Amino acid sequence: MPTFKLDERDIPFEQGDTVIRAAQRAGVDIPHYCWHPGLSVAANCRMCLVELMPPPGRPALLLDVLAWDKEKQEYVPQKKPKLVPACQQGVSDGMVIKSQSSGHAQQARAAVQELLLLNHPVDCPICDQAGECRLQDYWLEHGATKKRMNDEPIHKPKAVPFGPNIVYDAERCIVCTRCVRVSEELAKDPVLSVRERGNLAEIVVAPGRQLDHAYTLMTEYVCPVGALTAVDFRFKARVWFLRSARTVCTGCATGCNSFTDFDPRNQKAYRYRPRENLAVNKYWMCDDGMLDHRRIHEQRVLAPRVSGEGVDAKIALEKAAAALKQASPESTAVLLSAEHSNEDNFALLELAKSFGFNQLFQSGRPAGQGDDILRHPDKNPNTAGIVRLAKPALLKPFAELASAIDGGTIKTVLALGSSLSVADKTDALKRAQVIALASHEGPLAQHARVLLPASTWAEADGTFVNAKGLAQESEKAIAPQGQSLPAFRWLAELARVAGKPLGWKKLTDLRKSMAQEAPPASLPASTAPAGVS
Amino acid sequence: MEPLDQELDQAELEMPAEPMLLNVGPAHPAMHGTVRCVMELSGEVIHHVDVQVGYLHRGFEKMCERGTWTQVFPYVDRCNYVSPMLNNVGFALACEKLLGISVPERCQWYRMALGELARISDHLTCDGAMAMELGAFTPFLWMIKAREMIWDLMEEETGARLTHSFGRVGGMASPPTDGFKEQARAVVKQILSVVAEVEKLLLGNRIFLDRLEGVGVISAEDAISLGWTGPCLRATGVPYDVRKAHPYLKYAEVDFDVPVGSASDCFDRFMVRIEEIKQSARIIEQSLERLADSGPINVDDPRVILPPKDEVYNTIEGTIQHFKIVMEGLKLPAGEVYSYTEGGNGELGFYLVSDGSGTPYRVRIRPPCFLVTAGLERVITGQMMADVVPSFGSLNMIGGECDR
Repeated sequence: MPTFKLDERDIPFEQGDTVIRAAQRAGVDIPHYCWHPGLSVAANCRMCLVELMPPPGRPALLLDVLAWDKEKQEYVPQKKPKLVPACQQGVSDGMVIKSQSSGHAQQARAAVQELLLLNHPVDCPICDQAGECRLQDYWLEHGATKKRMNDEPIHKPKAVPFGPNIVYDAERCIVCTRCVRVSEELAKDPVLSVRERGNLAEIVVAPGRQLDHAYTLMTEYVCPVGALTAVDFRFKARVWFLRSARTVCTGCATGCNSFTDFDPRNQKAYRYRPRENLAVNKYWMCDDGMLDHRRIHEQRVLAPRVSGEGVDAKIALEKAAAALKQASPESTAVLLSAEHSNEDNFALLELAKSFGFNQLFQSGRPAGQGDDILRHPDKNPNTAGIVRLAKPALLKPFAELASAIDGGTIKTVLALGSSLSVADKTDALKRAQVIALASHEGPLAQHARVLLPASTWAEADGTFVNAKGLAQESEKAIAPQGQSLPAFRWLAELARVAGKPLGWKKLTDLRKSMAQEAPPASLPASTAPAGVS
Repeated sequence: MEPLDQELDQAELEMPAEPMLLNVGPAHPAMHGTVRCVMELSGEVIHHVDVQVGYLHRGFEKMCERGTWTQVFPYVDRCNYVSPMLNNVGFALACEKLLGISVPERCQWYRMALGELARISDHLTCDGAMAMELGAFTPFLWMIKAREMIWDLMEEETGARLTHSFGRVGGMASPPTDGFKEQARAVVKQILSVVAEVEKLLLGNRIFLDRLEGVGVISAEDAISLGWTGPCLRATGVPYDVRKAHPYLKYAEVDFDVPVGSASDCFDRFMVRIEEIKQSARIIEQSLERLADSGPINVDDPRVILPPKDEVYNTIEGTIQHFKIVMEGLKLPAGEVYSYTEGGNGELGFYLVSDGSGTPYRVRIRPPCFLVTAGLERVITGQMMADVVPSFGSLNMIGGECDR
């Protein structure tokens, strides 16, 4: 592999690489604002300037400049090499580049940093970006100079609503145009643009439009400063109190890799962030997915119920066990859920097997809108997973279950999940005895004779198989809310109370048992490394 | 029931031949701090003693691993609460060694002056308490009165009498007050006169001398092998003082002597401390002489020093600097360092490991008292029970740093 020299270190590169891309792959960080690995090169922030050494025997390209001489107290003429942006400079074999080791590059970066902060408001205490802001990080790393300008800074519009999800602050903006490029290149909706020049420049929405495409939150995500903030996250939490769990978005069958940011003190999830995985979602997530974290806390079933009345977990388990013991296998249906992980569904299948129930159906959220970027029409994270788990048996759709109940052949339903893919046939559930494990309110929770509160994806480790057939592990972020428990735990308890204990108690044992019985692709694959942006 | 008028020759009289186990502490007036001594006595002679520390375990080192480097200062204050300024400066010097910075000259002289005042306060407490425990109450009151003057001065400078938390990485929390030099000179003068009076009261007192001379002897070899440092080691005749052997701050530039003992008994330890008070007074005088009235007290490094408040409130650069240092903590470069200074009771070492983040990866303290207390067993074995009091007093165990 050809290499080039960066600060005395040999860095391998591939054909067509830029300096910054090759350096990033080798784990060397060159400071940058406007460059993003998933976007085109703009080279407008000038933070990544590096010194490109001339080929041997050739003179360097030098510029005439005036430099301040402290001793003489005046400007003196000097020469300075022409610096190049690392994000735009292509590499060739044997090239010699100085980044950290170049005094000129250091000086240039300090000057860029000083310029960017020239008109920046004193907003850190009220800015959501504080704690993960490039301006803060780079100020300390590059220059760390005090303010030299005594004039009033330029004032620009603040808290401008760009659309339903995004609020813009022009004073904080460094006009790196990442948001403009996200709209244009990722969402294919060039709705943002730059107006004016110099220190009057600001981002604007196209006249008559709103920033309302399906990927608006990606503009906030790529914003290296606090100029774009998400309505959803504004003033909700300070980022240094949040911890991140490596999760998988459960909003659709794409299975985008995400971070769930939660506050360990109140066990509340506050936001999702995309997690880089070039095989699935590259660097991105859609708005529906980014806002899906709300479902972790909204419309939750948090206590066991029998016939709609809140009861003790013990009583609910006994009632459910009694109903299952009385049910005959011919008239009992088992409803698997594409909303839940392989672990939960595997536990349900194991329980069904021990009772001899073999009529398997599937449920999940109704289909929705898809696109050719990330969004999948199937709004369930694990449809492929349950189909695989149930093999060789075939999963029948809920509509068939509804007609079987109406026809009187099914009298008892053991159901996992909260939603049903069809809205109009849910009344059939009234005529059957439903034992449900649901995390959210919905038709199943409403019609359940016995209802056990299941945890969501954020409260347990689980494996989800996306539409491409890739099994991905999602980590537990927060503790189970209310009296909820992961569904596989309820099922193990239920089996124990019914006198037919399953062979495992812990998740690791469950996975071992799954490894023996289920197809190998149902097991969690190793998750992709944490992304950088 | 036995008749009360039983004749002596009829009764069975037998002296118990078994040694008696006596448990002193952990909460006992004769024990400085919570330490327990299980003594095996034969009559009044101690045959064997088991010294047990650990009753004051506060998890100091572990606590340090969850805050920032700056947040360690209040903890080191509480290690030796009789001379917290020496601990503050010792820890600051360790961080500065890892950062590769050194504070401005003015700060160095200021740190020396405050540190030596703290040392005097430490020695006054130890010697005063020793005298009191042997029944000489007046010298105790006088010495504590003198210590009170130091604490008043410290309060004037730092805002706190006891736990100052005044050190900072890269400087001090604030510059010397306007009246510092004048007040410090006045305090030192009064302390020296108190010490002279105490000497007159005690050094001609037969009872006091008999209780100390030849009591609690330890050989220089034993003391070194136990890792003793400070006044207790110097009382055995070994002239090891970190300030002389490995000078830090400006100790190489000041003129002072290292007093040593010869008999290495309790009396020598008492006298070494008295003499060190006088030497500290000399150092303070020279430090005040060279302490500039103006000039920077903190290093000019935005990575470690907080900006002035008006900059924090009015400029973005100041806000960012403040934010980075307060929220993330100042970052010491990844690596490890051992830095040692002369504390009140000997070599006070800090071994720091940094992983480059704002939070300490490991803070290990080498407190002088822990090693000195380890020698208590050797010092009092074979002594009379009553000799435990002056022997233990002369070692000056400080529970806070012994148990950490």
